[in-house]
Amino acid sequence: MKPVNAMPAAIAASRPGRSQPFADVVAENLDAVYRYLVYLTGDRVAAEDLAAETFEKAYRGWRKFDPHRGAPRTWLCRIAHSVAVDWFRAEARRQRREDNYVRDTEMLGESVFADGFSPELDQALRRLTPAEREVVALRVLLELDGPSAARVLGISQTACSTRLSRALKRLEEEVGDVRV
Amino acid sequence: MSAFEFEGHEALVAQLRAGTLAAPGHLHRRVLAGAPAKRRRLAAMSARRRLVLAVPVAASLAIGAAVINGVFLSPSSSPTPFNAASRVVRNGGYPKLPSLSHGPKAVNGANGATGMQGPTGAEGPTGPAGPTGAKGATGLQGATGASGLKYSSRGGSATGAQSGGGPEGAVGKTGATGATPVHGAGAPASPDKAVTLAPLQAGADLPQTLDRAGAGIFNPSNSLVIPTGRLVHAEANLVVSVPDHDALTQATNKATQIVTALGGYSQSVQYAASHKGYGRSFLDLRVPLGKAEVAIQKLGQLGDLTAQSVSTQDLEQQFHQQTNQIDQLRRAITIYKQALQSGTLTGSQRVEVQIRLANAVDELKGTTKSRSQTVSSGRTAQIRLTLQTAGHAAVGPQKTGRLGQMLHNVGAFLAIEGIIVIYALIAALPILLLIALIWWFTRGRRQRDEKRLLAST
Repeated sequence: MKPVNAMPAAIAASRPGRSQPFADVVAENLDAVYRYLVYLTGDRVAAEDLAAETFEKAYRGWRKFDPHRGAPRTWLCRIAHSVAVDWFRAEARRQRREDNYVRDTEMLGESVFADGFSPELDQALRRLTPAEREVVALRVLLELDGPSAARVLGISQTACSTRLSRALKRLEEEVGDVRV
Repeated sequence: MSAFEFEGHEALVAQLRAGTLAAPGHLHRRVLAGAPAKRRRLAAMSARRRLVLAVPVAASLAIGAAVINGVFLSPSSSPTPFNAASRVVRNGGYPKLPSLSHGPKAVNGANGATGMQGPTGAEGPTGPAGPTGAKGATGLQGATGASGLKYSSRGGSATGAQSGGGPEGAVGKTGATGATPVHGAGAPASPDKAVTLAPLQAGADLPQTLDRAGAGIFNPSNSLVIPTGRLVHAEANLVVSVPDHDALTQATNKATQIVTALGGYSQSVQYAASHKGYGRSFLDLRVPLGKAEVAIQKLGQLGDLTAQSVSTQDLEQQFHQQTNQIDQLRRAITIYKQALQSGTLTGSQRVEVQIRLANAVDELKGTTKSRSQTVSSGRTAQIRLTLQTAGHAAVGPQKTGRLGQMLHNVGAFLAIEGIIVIYALIAALPILLLIALIWWFTRGRRQRDEKRLLAST
């Protein structure tokens, strides 16, 4: 297992390269972005679509990307966040019209957030809000540093840190509740 | 990454990281299908970097435009009147002098005009030829038009006179038809003023009369007559050069003494001198109209007269109009008073007449006051005298040189550009502030919506 606070190799690899081809950026960051979106939406199918949309937008805006302002992963997560928020808006409108009950119960049987998760952890993650899962994904899974995660979320670094603490604490509690 | 944020949750964090989740292969293919090649360096520039680059580029363009303006539009070919006059003094050349009138002589038909045409020649003749139109003795060819003063009035009592050249300045040195003086003869002509101030131009021809005056210095002793038989407002501008600082002081004092002795006064005197010996005096003088010619002559002799202009405006018609108006108002007032005293008016008519009477009285006061001002203005001549040291006139332009002028022009152009930019900013500022406010408000609203959306399970 990697040390918790070590600089991950993936981030180091995605440090700005002035003439880095977009294909390399895709190869390095697609999994991370997809995983982030799965955590954020709690829906693998939706995450796939959103990841594709994210990279499509990134492709269109690739010429505007300034490597001096942040790593490609942060930039991609910011786009993914924006895409996901739009999806949530659409989803909220849709849910007002439809009953989502059947789909939700069907998904209970399989792990959504990662392969190999215990049902308790998966269930606990499902009980978190998207905002809480998002900060966990950014800081724990994608291992973005505080400023980068805060930039993706559009909040201050302190607020990001507070949100992470609360999310982890609540996740611990939810895991405990599910086990009981 | 801060370790304290994961304190107490190490096991959970490890468990979360242990889970594996990779994007499906078809997603990889889907995304990579649209991946572009390398980024272009120029296109990779962000908006902020473009802005940072645009500012120095814009500044360079502004400076470049100013330099081009300074280099190619250097004022070497377009000197100011003052500089031109200075060169004339220094080189001893002859300036083309401003046109002058020749009133009484022309009226008497004795002599032709000696008026000279400047580049901005005023007007051609408007009055009809008089019975004793004399030939111009020394009339000068005008550059673009005739010049001279016009005196005229209504009702055949005019003593119109005009001097200088014809409409196209077709008057030679020998004055073929220099003056066409008019004397009465019932000719209607409009009372106009003829402003004849013209800048001195280097290298211009000098008339014979002035040639005899010698050395490029204008001697106005026999070239200026201001009519005294009519109500005329006269203004004169004189520029006189003196050799040095001491002479400037003496000339300034002397000028005041001259006008005082002639019954006039100095309305204002401004005296300025620098430690380098340059100096200038500006005197605003008032003299009785009848003494104006003498005053101008004496003031012009305080040094070397380098520029002179005289303008007159006939006030007779204005005076008559005001007098007629006063008479009419008095008659109206008398009628209104008689009507009020008669007792035949109804209540409403009485009120109306009282209002008209009050208005007429007020108007009478105003018109009477205006007429007094007209008379006062017609009794005195205004003379603006500029005394300056010759060093000031001659050395000034030399000191800067072409390079200095160029730099001056560059600076002036940059200043204009700066003013335009500041004006544009001032004009655009409210719009920019409004846009920023809308953007800030929209952003805050979006963030609140987003937070609420993601906070719901």
